[in-house]
Amino acid sequence: MREQAFRFGRAHHLVGIAGMPDRRPANVPEALEPVGVIVLNAGLVHRIGPFRLHVELTRRLNACGYPTLRFDLSTVGDSGASGESRTRTAQVCADAGDAMDLLQRQAGCSRFVLVGLCSGAQNAHTVACTDAKVAGAVFLDGYAYRTAGFHLRHTLPKLVDPRRWWRLLARRRQVAAARGEPVFAVERLPRPVVRADLAGMLDRGLRLCLIYSGGINRYFNHASQFRECFGRLVERPGICTAFDREADHTYVLAGDRQRLLDSIERWLTLNFPIPGTGHSP
Amino acid sequence: MTLMATPLEAERPLYFGEGGELFGLYHAPGGRAGKAVLLCAPLGQEQIRCHRIYRQLAHALAAEGMAVLRFDYYGCGDSAGASAEVDWLRCIADTQAAAAELRRRSSVAQVVAFGARLGGSIALEAASPAHFAGLVLWDPVLDGDAYIARLDALQDELRVDPKRFGAPRPPAAAAGQWTGFAVSDRLRRQLAGLRPAPVPVPALLLDSLGPAAPRPWDRLGLGAERVRTLSATPWDDLARLEQAILSRPLIQAVANHLREPA
Repeated sequence: MREQAFRFGRAHHLVGIAGMPDRRPANVPEALEPVGVIVLNAGLVHRIGPFRLHVELTRRLNACGYPTLRFDLSTVGDSGASGESRTRTAQVCADAGDAMDLLQRQAGCSRFVLVGLCSGAQNAHTVACTDAKVAGAVFLDGYAYRTAGFHLRHTLPKLVDPRRWWRLLARRRQVAAARGEPVFAVERLPRPVVRADLAGMLDRGLRLCLIYSGGINRYFNHASQFRECFGRLVERPGICTAFDREADHTYVLAGDRQRLLDSIERWLTLNFPIPGTGHSP
Repeated sequence: MTLMATPLEAERPLYFGEGGELFGLYHAPGGRAGKAVLLCAPLGQEQIRCHRIYRQLAHALAAEGMAVLRFDYYGCGDSAGASAEVDWLRCIADTQAAAAELRRRSSVAQVVAFGARLGGSIALEAASPAHFAGLVLWDPVLDGDAYIARLDALQDELRVDPKRFGAPRPPAAAAGQWTGFAVSDRLRRQLAGLRPAPVPVPALLLDSLGPAAPRPWDRLGLGAERVRTLSATPWDDLARLEQAILSRPLIQAVANHLREPA
Protein backbone atom coordinates (compact mmCIF):
# COMPACT_ATOMS: atom_id res chain seq x y z
CA MET A 1 0.00 0.00 0.00
CA ARG A 2 1.34 3.41 -1.01
CA GLU A 3 -0.33 6.67 -0.05
CA GLN A 4 0.19 10.00 -1.72
CA ALA A 5 -1.13 13.43 -0.77
CA PHE A 6 -2.72 15.65 -3.41
CA ARG A 7 -4.02 19.15 -3.82
CA PHE A 8 -6.33 18.89 -6.80
CA GLY A 9 -9.61 19.95 -8.36
CA ARG A 10 -10.79 22.53 -10.89
CA ALA A 11 -9.74 25.37 -8.58
CA HIS A 12 -6.89 23.40 -7.01
CA HIS A 13 -8.92 23.69 -3.84
CA LEU A 14 -9.32 20.07 -2.72
CA VAL A 15 -7.03 17.97 -0.51
CA GLY A 16 -7.02 14.19 -0.56
CA ILE A 17 -4.98 11.06 0.02
CA ALA A 18 -4.79 8.48 -2.75
CA GLY A 19 -3.97 4.94 -1.71
CA MET A 20 -2.63 2.45 -4.23
CA PRO A 21 -2.46 -1.32 -3.93
CA ASP A 22 1.03 -2.76 -3.91
CA ARG A 23 0.40 -4.91 -6.94
CA ARG A 24 -1.60 -3.96 -10.00
CA PRO A 25 -3.03 -6.73 -12.16
CA ALA A 26 -1.12 -6.92 -15.46
CA ASN A 27 -2.73 -6.91 -18.93
CA VAL A 28 -6.25 -6.54 -17.59
CA PRO A 29 -8.93 -5.34 -20.05
CA GLU A 30 -10.56 -2.03 -19.07
CA ALA A 31 -13.85 -3.72 -18.26
CA LEU A 32 -12.07 -5.80 -15.63
CA GLU A 33 -9.98 -2.99 -14.11
CA PRO A 34 -10.60 -2.76 -10.37
CA VAL A 35 -13.04 -0.04 -9.43
CA GLY A 36 -11.65 2.95 -7.58
CA VAL A 37 -13.18 3.67 -4.18
CA ILE A 38 -13.89 7.29 -3.23
CA VAL A 39 -14.69 8.06 0.41
CA LEU A 40 -16.65 11.25 1.15
CA ASN A 41 -16.61 13.29 4.36
CA ALA A 42 -18.87 12.23 7.22
CA GLY A 43 -20.33 15.54 8.33
CA LEU A 44 -17.60 18.06 9.11
CA VAL A 45 -14.98 15.50 10.18
CA HIS A 46 -11.95 15.81 7.91
CA ARG A 47 -11.08 13.04 5.47
CA ILE A 48 -9.64 10.61 8.06
CA GLY A 49 -13.25 9.97 9.15
CA PRO A 50 -14.79 9.50 12.60
CA PHE A 51 -12.21 7.80 14.83
CA ARG A 52 -10.05 7.31 11.69
CA LEU A 53 -12.65 5.05 10.08
CA HIS A 54 -11.81 6.23 6.55
CA VAL A 55 -8.08 5.59 7.02
CA GLU A 56 -8.75 2.05 8.22
CA LEU A 57 -11.24 1.46 5.40
CA THR A 58 -9.08 2.74 2.55
CA ARG A 59 -6.00 0.86 3.77
CA ARG A 60 -8.01 -2.36 4.11
CA LEU A 61 -9.31 -1.93 0.54
CA ASN A 62 -5.83 -1.11 -0.78
CA ALA A 63 -4.66 -4.40 0.71
CA CYS A 64 -7.47 -6.12 -1.24
CA GLY A 65 -6.27 -4.52 -4.49
CA TYR A 66 -8.54 -1.45 -4.83
CA PRO A 67 -7.18 2.05 -5.43
CA THR A 68 -8.81 4.56 -3.08
CA LEU A 69 -9.14 8.27 -2.46
CA ARG A 70 -10.28 9.84 0.81
CA PHE A 71 -10.67 13.58 0.38
CA ASP A 72 -12.25 16.73 1.76
CA LEU A 73 -15.14 18.36 -0.08
CA SER A 74 -15.04 22.14 -0.68
CA THR A 75 -14.73 24.09 2.60
CA VAL A 76 -14.56 20.90 4.71
CA GLY A 77 -11.36 19.70 6.43
CA ASP A 78 -8.32 21.02 4.57
CA SER A 79 -10.11 21.87 1.34
CA GLY A 80 -10.87 25.46 0.43
CA ALA A 81 -13.68 27.08 -1.50
CA SER A 82 -13.68 26.78 -5.28
CA GLY A 83 -14.75 30.40 -5.70
CA GLU A 84 -17.60 29.35 -7.96
CA SER A 85 -21.20 30.40 -7.61
CA ARG A 86 -22.96 27.04 -7.41
CA THR A 87 -25.46 25.32 -5.17
CA ARG A 88 -23.98 23.02 -2.53
CA THR A 89 -25.36 20.04 -4.45
CA ALA A 90 -23.62 21.15 -7.64
CA GLN A 91 -20.40 21.75 -5.65
CA VAL A 92 -20.53 18.22 -4.21
CA CYS A 93 -21.07 16.70 -7.67
CA ALA A 94 -18.22 18.75 -9.16
CA ASP A 95 -15.89 17.89 -6.25
CA ALA A 96 -16.68 14.18 -6.57
CA GLY A 97 -16.07 14.47 -10.31
CA ASP A 98 -12.66 16.04 -9.63
CA ALA A 99 -11.89 13.23 -7.18
CA MET A 100 -12.78 10.55 -9.75
CA ASP A 101 -10.65 12.31 -12.38
CA LEU A 102 -7.69 12.32 -9.99
CA LEU A 103 -8.00 8.65 -9.11
CA GLN A 104 -8.43 7.79 -12.78
CA ARG A 105 -5.19 9.62 -13.59
CA GLN A 106 -3.34 7.95 -10.73
CA ALA A 107 -4.70 4.42 -10.92
CA GLY A 108 -6.22 4.08 -14.38
CA CYS A 109 -9.65 3.09 -13.08
CA SER A 110 -12.67 4.41 -14.95
CA ARG A 111 -15.48 3.11 -12.71
CA PHE A 112 -15.96 4.08 -9.09
CA VAL A 113 -17.67 3.08 -5.89
CA LEU A 114 -18.62 5.90 -3.52
CA VAL A 115 -18.66 5.41 0.25
CA GLY A 116 -20.33 7.84 2.64
CA LEU A 117 -21.57 7.95 6.21
CA CYS A 118 -24.51 10.14 7.26
CA SER A 119 -24.27 13.36 5.21
CA GLY A 120 -21.57 11.53 3.24
CA ALA A 121 -24.21 8.95 2.29
CA GLN A 122 -26.56 11.73 1.18
CA ASN A 123 -23.77 13.26 -0.91
CA ALA A 124 -22.87 9.86 -2.37
CA HIS A 125 -26.57 9.39 -3.23
CA THR A 126 -26.66 12.75 -5.01
CA VAL A 127 -23.56 11.98 -7.08
CA ALA A 128 -24.65 8.41 -7.83
CA CYS A 129 -27.93 9.73 -9.27
CA THR A 130 -26.22 11.58 -12.07
CA ASP A 131 -22.60 10.57 -12.64
CA ALA A 132 -22.15 7.82 -15.20
CA LYS A 133 -18.75 6.85 -13.80
CA VAL A 134 -20.30 5.66 -10.55
CA ALA A 135 -20.71 1.87 -10.63
CA GLY A 136 -21.72 1.36 -7.02
CA ALA A 137 -22.18 2.98 -3.64
CA VAL A 138 -22.03 2.16 0.04
CA PHE A 139 -24.50 4.24 2.01
CA LEU A 140 -23.87 4.14 5.78
CA ASP A 141 -26.88 5.41 7.71
CA GLY A 142 -28.18 6.90 4.49
CA TYR A 143 -31.78 7.71 3.70
CA ALA A 144 -34.40 5.98 5.85
CA TYR A 145 -37.84 6.92 7.09
CA ARG A 146 -40.05 6.07 10.02
CA THR A 147 -42.67 3.49 9.09
CA ALA A 148 -45.71 2.00 10.81
CA GLY A 149 -43.50 -0.94 11.75
CA PHE A 150 -40.95 1.41 13.27
CA HIS A 151 -43.61 3.08 15.43
CA LEU A 152 -44.96 -0.27 16.60
CA ARG A 153 -41.52 -1.58 17.53
CA HIS A 154 -40.64 1.72 19.14
CA THR A 155 -43.81 2.31 21.09
CA LEU A 156 -45.13 -1.09 22.16
CA PRO A 157 -42.30 -1.92 24.60
CA LYS A 158 -42.74 1.48 26.22
CA LEU A 159 -46.41 0.89 26.96
CA VAL A 160 -45.63 -2.02 29.26
CA ASP A 161 -42.53 -0.61 30.97
CA PRO A 162 -43.03 2.10 33.63
CA ARG A 163 -39.32 3.07 33.52
CA ARG A 164 -39.71 3.90 29.86
CA TRP A 165 -42.74 6.09 30.65
CA TRP A 166 -40.57 7.99 33.10
CA ARG A 167 -37.75 8.38 30.56
CA LEU A 168 -40.24 9.48 27.87
CA LEU A 169 -41.57 12.22 30.16
CA ALA A 170 -38.01 13.32 30.98
CA ARG A 171 -37.14 13.47 27.29
CA ARG A 172 -40.27 15.55 26.58
CA ARG A 173 -39.08 18.05 29.18
CA GLN A 174 -35.64 18.14 27.52
CA VAL A 175 -37.19 18.66 24.09
CA ALA A 176 -39.37 21.46 25.46
CA ALA A 177 -36.30 23.08 27.05
CA ALA A 178 -34.34 22.81 23.81
CA ARG A 179 -37.17 24.28 21.72
CA GLY A 180 -36.09 27.53 20.16
CA GLU A 181 -32.43 26.50 19.91
CA PRO A 182 -31.13 26.58 16.34
CA VAL A 183 -30.94 23.21 14.61
CA PHE A 184 -28.34 22.63 11.92
CA ALA A 185 -29.31 19.67 9.81
CA VAL A 186 -29.54 18.73 6.17
CA GLU A 187 -33.13 18.39 5.08
CA ARG A 188 -33.84 14.90 3.82
CA LEU A 189 -35.30 14.23 0.42
CA PRO A 190 -38.92 12.97 0.41
CA ARG A 191 -39.27 9.20 0.44
CA PRO A 192 -40.83 8.87 -3.07
CA VAL A 193 -37.93 10.84 -4.53
CA VAL A 194 -35.36 8.61 -2.81
CA ARG A 195 -37.24 5.48 -3.90
CA ALA A 196 -37.24 6.70 -7.51
CA ASP A 197 -33.55 7.65 -7.26
CA LEU A 198 -32.58 4.21 -5.94
CA ALA A 199 -34.66 2.49 -8.62
CA GLY A 200 -32.99 4.65 -11.26
CA MET A 201 -29.54 3.71 -9.97
CA LEU A 202 -30.41 0.00 -10.07
CA ASP A 203 -31.85 0.40 -13.58
CA ARG A 204 -28.50 1.84 -14.65
CA GLY A 205 -26.75 -1.25 -13.27
CA LEU A 206 -25.31 0.26 -10.10
CA ARG A 207 -24.64 -2.03 -7.15
CA LEU A 208 -25.76 -0.62 -3.84
CA CYS A 209 -24.91 -1.52 -0.27
CA LEU A 210 -26.94 0.13 2.49
CA ILE A 211 -25.82 -0.44 6.07
CA TYR A 212 -27.77 0.99 8.98
CA SER A 213 -26.54 1.24 12.57
CA GLY A 214 -28.30 1.11 15.91
CA GLY A 215 -27.20 4.72 16.39
CA ILE A 216 -30.13 5.97 14.30
CA ASN A 217 -32.77 4.21 16.38
CA ARG A 218 -34.82 7.44 16.46
CA TYR A 219 -35.97 6.55 12.95
CA PHE A 220 -34.65 3.07 12.07
CA ASN A 221 -34.92 0.07 14.38
CA HIS A 222 -35.16 -3.19 12.42
CA ALA A 223 -33.53 -4.99 9.51
CA SER A 224 -36.89 -5.18 7.75
CA GLN A 225 -37.39 -1.41 7.80
CA PHE A 226 -35.70 -0.88 4.45
CA ARG A 227 -38.39 -3.04 2.86
CA GLU A 228 -41.03 -1.12 4.82
CA CYS A 229 -39.56 2.14 3.46
CA PHE A 230 -38.90 1.21 -0.13
CA GLY A 231 -41.01 -1.91 -0.80
CA ARG A 232 -39.92 -4.42 -3.45
CA LEU A 233 -36.76 -2.47 -4.27
CA VAL A 234 -35.06 -4.69 -1.71
CA GLU A 235 -35.67 -7.71 -3.98
CA ARG A 236 -33.63 -6.26 -6.83
CA PRO A 237 -30.38 -8.22 -7.27
CA GLY A 238 -28.15 -5.13 -7.24
CA ILE A 239 -29.06 -4.05 -3.74
CA CYS A 240 -27.85 -5.32 -0.39
CA THR A 241 -29.01 -4.04 3.00
CA ALA A 242 -27.82 -4.73 6.52
CA PHE A 243 -28.59 -3.53 10.03
CA ASP A 244 -26.08 -3.56 12.89
CA ARG A 245 -28.25 -2.97 15.93
CA GLU A 246 -25.34 -2.92 18.40
CA ALA A 247 -23.19 -0.31 16.67
CA ASP A 248 -23.53 3.44 17.18
CA HIS A 249 -23.79 5.95 14.35
CA THR A 250 -20.05 6.67 14.04
CA TYR A 251 -18.67 3.24 15.06
CA VAL A 252 -16.81 4.47 18.13
CA LEU A 253 -15.88 0.94 19.30
CA ALA A 254 -13.01 -0.74 17.48
CA GLY A 255 -14.81 -4.09 17.25
CA ASP A 256 -17.88 -2.50 15.64
CA ARG A 257 -15.61 -0.69 13.21
CA GLN A 258 -13.88 -3.92 12.23
CA ARG A 259 -17.26 -5.59 11.67
CA LEU A 260 -18.27 -2.72 9.39
CA LEU A 261 -15.00 -2.96 7.44
CA ASP A 262 -15.54 -6.72 7.07
CA SER A 263 -19.03 -6.10 5.64
CA ILE A 264 -17.85 -3.49 3.15
CA GLU A 265 -14.88 -5.60 2.05
CA ARG A 266 -17.11 -8.66 1.61
CA TRP A 267 -19.67 -6.72 -0.43
CA LEU A 268 -17.03 -5.05 -2.59
CA THR A 269 -15.08 -8.21 -3.40
CA LEU A 270 -18.33 -9.98 -4.25
CA ASN A 271 -19.74 -7.24 -6.47
CA PHE A 272 -16.54 -5.74 -7.89
CA PRO A 273 -14.04 -8.59 -7.82
CA ILE A 274 -10.36 -7.94 -8.38
CA PRO A 275 -9.31 -9.82 -11.53
CA GLY A 276 -7.54 -13.03 -10.69
CA THR A 277 -8.92 -13.43 -7.17
CA GLY A 278 -11.52 -16.00 -8.07
CA HIS A 279 -14.54 -13.94 -6.97
CA SER A 280 -17.33 -13.49 -9.46
CA PRO A 281 -20.27 -11.11 -9.20
CA MET B 1 -5.54 41.36 14.22
CA THR B 2 -6.25 41.23 10.51
CA LEU B 3 -6.70 37.75 9.09
CA MET B 4 -5.85 37.66 5.42
CA ALA B 5 -6.98 34.91 3.15
CA THR B 6 -4.14 32.47 2.51
CA PRO B 7 -3.81 31.32 -1.09
CA LEU B 8 -4.67 27.64 -1.31
CA GLU B 9 -1.50 26.99 -3.29
CA ALA B 10 0.48 28.09 -0.24
CA GLU B 11 -1.04 25.25 1.82
CA ARG B 12 0.74 22.15 0.63
CA PRO B 13 -0.13 18.57 1.68
CA LEU B 14 2.93 16.32 1.77
CA TYR B 15 4.51 13.20 3.19
CA PHE B 16 7.92 13.48 4.83
CA GLY B 17 10.27 11.79 7.28
CA GLU B 18 12.02 8.45 6.98
CA GLY B 19 10.19 6.34 4.44
CA GLY B 20 7.73 9.22 3.84
CA GLU B 21 5.56 7.92 6.68
CA LEU B 22 4.47 11.24 8.16
CA PHE B 23 1.71 13.43 6.74
CA GLY B 24 1.91 17.19 7.02
CA LEU B 25 0.49 20.41 5.63
CA TYR B 26 2.99 23.17 5.06
CA HIS B 27 1.63 26.72 5.12
CA ALA B 28 4.08 28.96 3.30
CA PRO B 29 4.07 32.64 4.25
CA GLY B 30 3.41 35.27 1.57
CA GLY B 31 7.02 36.47 1.48
CA ARG B 32 10.22 35.51 3.26
CA ALA B 33 9.33 33.79 6.54
CA GLY B 34 10.12 35.76 9.66
CA LYS B 35 9.38 32.92 12.03
CA ALA B 36 8.55 29.25 11.79
CA VAL B 37 5.89 27.58 13.91
CA LEU B 38 5.35 23.83 14.33
CA LEU B 39 1.84 22.82 15.35
CA CYS B 40 1.93 19.64 17.45
CA ALA B 41 -1.45 17.91 17.48
CA PRO B 42 -3.02 16.21 20.49
CA LEU B 43 -3.69 12.47 20.30
CA GLY B 44 -6.85 10.46 19.69
CA GLN B 45 -10.21 12.17 19.48
CA GLU B 46 -8.73 15.46 20.69
CA GLN B 47 -6.75 15.58 17.45
CA ILE B 48 -9.93 15.28 15.37
CA ARG B 49 -11.71 17.86 17.52
CA CYS B 50 -8.79 20.29 17.13
CA HIS B 51 -8.28 19.82 13.39
CA ARG B 52 -10.30 22.90 12.45
CA ILE B 53 -8.73 25.24 14.98
CA TYR B 54 -5.22 24.09 14.05
CA ARG B 55 -6.00 24.94 10.42
CA GLN B 56 -7.43 28.33 11.39
CA LEU B 57 -4.38 29.01 13.55
CA ALA B 58 -2.04 28.02 10.71
CA HIS B 59 -3.84 30.41 8.35
CA ALA B 60 -3.67 33.23 10.88
CA LEU B 61 0.06 32.73 11.48
CA ALA B 62 0.86 32.36 7.76
CA ALA B 63 -1.02 35.62 7.16
CA GLU B 64 1.34 37.21 9.72
CA GLY B 65 4.35 36.10 7.65
CA MET B 66 5.17 32.90 9.54
CA ALA B 67 5.93 29.52 8.01
CA VAL B 68 3.77 26.84 9.62
CA LEU B 69 3.76 23.06 9.54
CA ARG B 70 0.88 20.92 10.82
CA PHE B 71 1.58 17.19 10.93
CA ASP B 72 0.30 13.81 12.12
CA TYR B 73 2.38 11.49 14.31
CA TYR B 74 2.89 7.87 13.25
CA GLY B 75 -0.40 6.02 13.84
CA CYS B 76 -2.42 9.26 13.74
CA GLY B 77 -4.42 11.11 11.08
CA ASP B 78 -3.15 10.48 7.56
CA SER B 79 0.28 9.26 8.65
CA ALA B 80 1.28 5.62 8.29
CA GLY B 81 0.60 3.18 11.09
CA ALA B 82 -2.43 1.94 12.97
CA SER B 83 -3.98 3.78 15.93
CA ALA B 84 -2.83 0.99 18.27
CA GLU B 85 0.78 1.65 17.19
CA VAL B 86 0.95 5.19 18.59
CA ASP B 87 4.04 5.34 20.77
CA TRP B 88 5.13 8.22 23.01
CA LEU B 89 8.81 8.09 22.07
CA ARG B 90 7.92 7.86 18.40
CA CYS B 91 5.71 10.97 18.79
CA ILE B 92 8.72 12.87 20.14
CA ALA B 93 10.96 11.57 17.35
CA ASP B 94 8.29 12.52 14.77
CA THR B 95 8.17 16.02 16.25
CA GLN B 96 11.93 16.33 15.76
CA ALA B 97 11.55 15.13 12.16
CA ALA B 98 8.73 17.65 11.60
CA ALA B 99 10.86 20.48 13.03
CA ALA B 100 13.66 19.53 10.63
CA GLU B 101 11.20 19.46 7.73
CA LEU B 102 9.88 22.90 8.67
CA ARG B 103 13.42 24.33 8.89
CA ARG B 104 14.27 22.82 5.51
CA ARG B 105 11.19 24.19 3.77
CA SER B 106 11.16 27.63 5.37
CA SER B 107 14.91 28.24 5.67
CA VAL B 108 14.18 29.54 9.17
CA ALA B 109 16.37 28.04 11.89
CA GLN B 110 14.37 29.16 14.92
CA VAL B 111 11.21 27.13 15.36
CA VAL B 112 8.53 27.76 17.97
CA ALA B 113 6.22 24.84 18.83
CA PHE B 114 2.53 25.06 19.71
CA GLY B 115 0.59 22.15 21.19
CA ALA B 116 -2.78 21.46 22.78
CA ARG B 117 -3.27 18.80 25.49
CA LEU B 118 -0.88 15.87 24.82
CA GLY B 119 0.41 17.86 21.82
CA GLY B 120 1.67 20.41 24.36
CA SER B 121 3.23 17.66 26.45
CA ILE B 122 4.96 16.23 23.36
CA ALA B 123 6.25 19.69 22.36
CA LEU B 124 7.57 20.11 25.89
CA GLU B 125 9.41 16.76 25.81
CA ALA B 126 10.78 17.50 22.34
CA ALA B 127 11.84 21.07 23.17
CA SER B 128 15.50 20.25 23.83
CA PRO B 129 16.14 17.53 21.21
CA ALA B 130 14.24 19.53 18.54
CA HIS B 131 15.95 22.78 19.59
CA PHE B 132 12.74 24.76 19.84
CA ALA B 133 13.21 28.49 20.37
CA GLY B 134 9.95 28.76 22.28
CA LEU B 135 6.77 26.97 23.29
CA VAL B 136 3.08 27.84 23.37
CA LEU B 137 1.21 25.23 25.42
CA TRP B 138 -2.58 25.01 25.52
CA ASP B 139 -3.83 23.01 28.52
CA PRO B 140 -0.87 20.61 28.34
CA VAL B 141 -1.20 17.26 30.14
CA LEU B 142 1.26 17.30 33.04
CA ASP B 143 -0.10 14.44 35.13
CA GLY B 144 -0.18 11.22 33.13
CA ASP B 145 -1.90 9.15 35.82
CA ALA B 146 -4.77 11.63 36.16
CA TYR B 147 -5.15 11.81 32.37
CA ILE B 148 -5.32 8.02 32.06
CA ALA B 149 -7.88 7.82 34.87
CA ARG B 150 -10.04 10.46 33.16
CA LEU B 151 -9.91 8.73 29.75
CA ASP B 152 -10.70 5.33 31.33
CA ALA B 153 -13.68 6.90 33.06
CA LEU B 154 -14.86 8.53 29.83
CA GLN B 155 -14.57 5.22 27.99
CA ASP B 156 -16.63 3.53 30.70
CA GLU B 157 -19.30 6.25 30.48
CA LEU B 158 -19.29 6.00 26.70
CA ARG B 159 -20.08 2.27 26.51
CA VAL B 160 -23.28 2.74 28.52
CA ASP B 161 -24.26 6.11 27.01
CA PRO B 162 -27.97 5.78 26.05
CA LYS B 163 -27.62 8.60 23.52
CA ARG B 164 -25.07 6.49 21.63
CA PHE B 165 -26.10 2.86 22.18
CA GLY B 166 -29.55 1.28 22.31
CA ALA B 167 -28.27 -1.08 25.01
CA PRO B 168 -25.18 -0.80 27.22
CA ARG B 169 -22.13 -2.51 25.75
CA PRO B 170 -20.13 -4.98 27.84
CA PRO B 171 -16.77 -3.81 29.25
CA ALA B 172 -14.93 -6.20 26.91
CA ALA B 173 -16.30 -4.35 23.85
CA ALA B 174 -14.77 -1.10 25.07
CA ALA B 175 -11.53 -2.47 26.52
CA GLY B 176 -8.16 -1.27 25.25
CA GLN B 177 -9.62 1.90 23.74
CA TRP B 178 -10.03 5.57 24.60
CA THR B 179 -12.97 7.39 23.04
CA GLY B 180 -12.80 5.73 19.66
CA PHE B 181 -9.13 4.81 19.42
CA ALA B 182 -7.28 1.60 20.23
CA VAL B 183 -4.58 2.17 22.85
CA SER B 184 -1.65 -0.14 23.47
CA ASP B 185 -0.50 -1.15 26.94
CA ARG B 186 2.85 0.39 26.08
CA LEU B 187 1.32 3.84 25.47
CA ARG B 188 -0.60 3.57 28.75
CA ARG B 189 2.63 2.78 30.59
CA GLN B 190 4.45 5.61 28.83
CA LEU B 191 1.75 8.13 29.72
CA ALA B 192 1.56 6.86 33.30
CA GLY B 193 5.13 7.99 33.75
CA LEU B 194 4.50 11.42 32.29
CA ARG B 195 5.87 14.12 34.62
CA PRO B 196 7.28 16.91 32.44
CA ALA B 197 10.28 18.83 33.74
CA PRO B 198 10.28 22.66 33.88
CA VAL B 199 10.22 24.29 30.45
CA PRO B 200 13.73 24.69 29.06
CA VAL B 201 12.86 27.58 26.70
CA PRO B 202 10.67 30.74 26.81
CA ALA B 203 7.04 29.68 26.94
CA LEU B 204 3.46 30.89 27.07
CA LEU B 205 0.81 28.76 28.74
CA LEU B 206 -2.84 29.11 27.71
CA ASP B 207 -5.16 27.86 30.42
CA SER B 208 -8.75 26.96 29.47
CA LEU B 209 -9.36 24.09 31.91
CA GLY B 210 -12.17 25.90 33.71
CA PRO B 211 -12.40 26.89 37.37
CA ALA B 212 -12.76 23.41 38.92
CA ALA B 213 -9.80 21.65 37.30
CA PRO B 214 -6.50 21.06 39.10
CA ARG B 215 -3.66 23.22 37.74
CA PRO B 216 -0.20 21.74 38.12
CA TRP B 217 1.31 24.63 36.13
CA ASP B 218 3.90 25.37 38.84
CA ARG B 219 5.70 22.21 37.69
CA LEU B 220 6.63 24.06 34.53
CA GLY B 221 8.47 26.78 36.43
CA LEU B 222 6.61 29.54 34.61
CA GLY B 223 5.93 32.91 36.18
CA ALA B 224 2.33 34.06 36.43
CA GLU B 225 2.96 36.58 33.64
CA ARG B 226 3.52 33.65 31.24
CA VAL B 227 0.04 32.17 31.89
CA ARG B 228 -3.08 33.48 30.13
CA THR B 229 -6.53 32.32 31.10
CA LEU B 230 -9.16 31.69 28.42
CA SER B 231 -12.78 30.63 28.71
CA ALA B 232 -13.24 26.93 29.53
CA THR B 233 -12.78 24.31 26.79
CA PRO B 234 -15.04 21.22 27.09
CA TRP B 235 -12.25 18.67 26.63
CA ASP B 236 -13.87 15.95 28.78
CA ASP B 237 -17.57 16.40 27.99
CA LEU B 238 -18.87 13.13 26.56
CA ALA B 239 -21.90 14.89 25.05
CA ARG B 240 -19.49 16.93 22.91
CA LEU B 241 -17.14 14.09 22.03
CA GLU B 242 -17.62 14.63 18.31
CA GLN B 243 -17.84 18.42 18.31
CA ALA B 244 -14.99 20.58 17.06
CA ILE B 245 -13.07 22.71 19.54
CA LEU B 246 -13.12 26.28 18.27
CA SER B 247 -11.79 29.43 19.96
CA ARG B 248 -11.14 32.76 18.29
CA PRO B 249 -9.54 34.15 21.50
CA LEU B 250 -7.05 31.27 21.47
CA ILE B 251 -5.98 32.06 17.92
CA GLN B 252 -5.65 35.74 18.75
CA ALA B 253 -3.62 35.01 21.90
CA VAL B 254 -1.17 32.78 20.01
CA ALA B 255 -0.84 35.20 17.09
CA ASN B 256 -0.31 38.17 19.42
CA HIS B 257 2.33 36.29 21.39
CA LEU B 258 4.23 35.11 18.32
CA ARG B 259 4.05 38.54 16.71
CA GLU B 260 6.21 39.91 19.52
CA PRO B 261 9.92 40.11 18.72
CA ALA B 262 11.85 37.15 20.13
